[in-house]
Amino acid sequence: MKKTRSIAYCRTLLIIGVLVVGFVLLQFTSPVIVNPPATKEISAPEEVSRILKQSCYDCHSNAANPAWYGRIAPVSFLVDHDINEGRSRFNFSEWDKNPPVVQELLLWEMVNAIEQGKMPLARYSLLHNGARVSAADLAILKKYVNSLPGRHKVDTARIIKPTALPVGETDAEASRIPVSPNGVPYYPDYKNWRIISITDKYDGGSMRVVYANDIMYSAIKSNKMPFPDGSKMVKAVWGKQQQDSDGIVRPGNFQNVQVMVKDSRKYAATEGWGFAKFDGLALKPYGKTAIFDRTCINCHRLLAPENDFVFNVPTK
Amino acid sequence: MSKIIFCTISIALLWSSRQQKKYANLAPEYLYEVKGQKPICSLIDNKEGNISMLYGNNIALHAANDSVVRQVPGADYTLVTWKQKEMPGWYGTNMNGEIYAVETLKVSQGEKQQPKSDYRFKAGKAYSSVVVRSPDRGQRIHFIIDQRAAILP
Repeated sequence: MKKTRSIAYCRTLLIIGVLVVGFVLLQFTSPVIVNPPATKEISAPEEVSRILKQSCYDCHSNAANPAWYGRIAPVSFLVDHDINEGRSRFNFSEWDKNPPVVQELLLWEMVNAIEQGKMPLARYSLLHNGARVSAADLAILKKYVNSLPGRHKVDTARIIKPTALPVGETDAEASRIPVSPNGVPYYPDYKNWRIISITDKYDGGSMRVVYANDIMYSAIKSNKMPFPDGSKMVKAVWGKQQQDSDGIVRPGNFQNVQVMVKDSRKYAATEGWGFAKFDGLALKPYGKTAIFDRTCINCHRLLAPENDFVFNVPTK
Repeated sequence: MSKIIFCTISIALLWSSRQQKKYANLAPEYLYEVKGQKPICSLIDNKEGNISMLYGNNIALHAANDSVVRQVPGADYTLVTWKQKEMPGWYGTNMNGEIYAVETLKVSQGEKQQPKSDYRFKAGKAYSSVVVRSPDRGQRIHFIIDQRAAILP
């Protein structure tokens, strides 16, 4: 009996010893949180900056200041991951890396992420008491984004009509069908599909009409999600003309078409959806590299997972 | 043995609950299909809080692409109007919600070479919930004919 107890005691000591040594060795691999110098800090009213600093800056700026436990492995690995991920989405200390239109869109995205409870991250809020954004602070952020220039943007330019034949509508045109850097093509036959959604995107001054192919349309009619492979949507985007005296807003200049096509295997990295955008009357494919669509899925994944990552479908 | 079974079942239940994804409820009742006509343009009505899609047959579409506004015999139009609703998942966009009304207009050759307009109004689910107000027939016909086609490449 005494001998058994002694063996168990030694075994326990051995395990503890191994854990302690492992823990110490782990610290040598612990990432060091680096704060590069700011290139251009976001400029916002003081009440907005206060909220951003208290709730967002630890991951989305070059002023990260993790608590002591966040600098010790293994927690430091998670903190480092979250900071790198946060900065890659947007960085308040390098705010000029995005053009003004994108800056505004990011701010609206932040408001939505906060309103849906997706941000700040739950695991961050749990350990940082003052980080959660209150209803009053969310109202301040909403008021702010509604004051941005894009909110009341009006297309006053002369409406330009296409001079070339529509792409893909003849055999001769078929070879001119634009293809996105990630391989997603423009679908010229979308004009024969059915319309599922008409929108006023007042945050940036555009209005949209969304077309769905038969597979997608049938899935919506039968309330079927996730949407099956072969589902396709094309969203046509225009500027908004000045509202008339009856309150009517009409489409201005054509801006772009945006495409989503479902193929769970081909687009596994982007939740089964292939994304594309074709800009202007020339339908120029958007994106410098094939992974431009990571920006698309980041927002869709964050804010529309319950809709199979689609914003523009009719939901209750 | 019973402990092993209990743990296995618990883990299996936890795993299956993690796998089940909760999806939103789609609203197919917001869809309205217009057969035999093509989209002309979308319209936002900020006074009434509505959003619309105007469709037309080939003659109507051609007329809507013309720089001169006129009633062309043979033109058929459908104007579908919905109440706007905030897009779930994106504050910053309003989209079509409940159907407010469906209006149709058929233009034909009348007497003395004057066009004849057959205008019909059908109230949608959203319309019946507000104070009933008969549409001004003449005003609505002009409104439909006045719209120019949205540009698409």
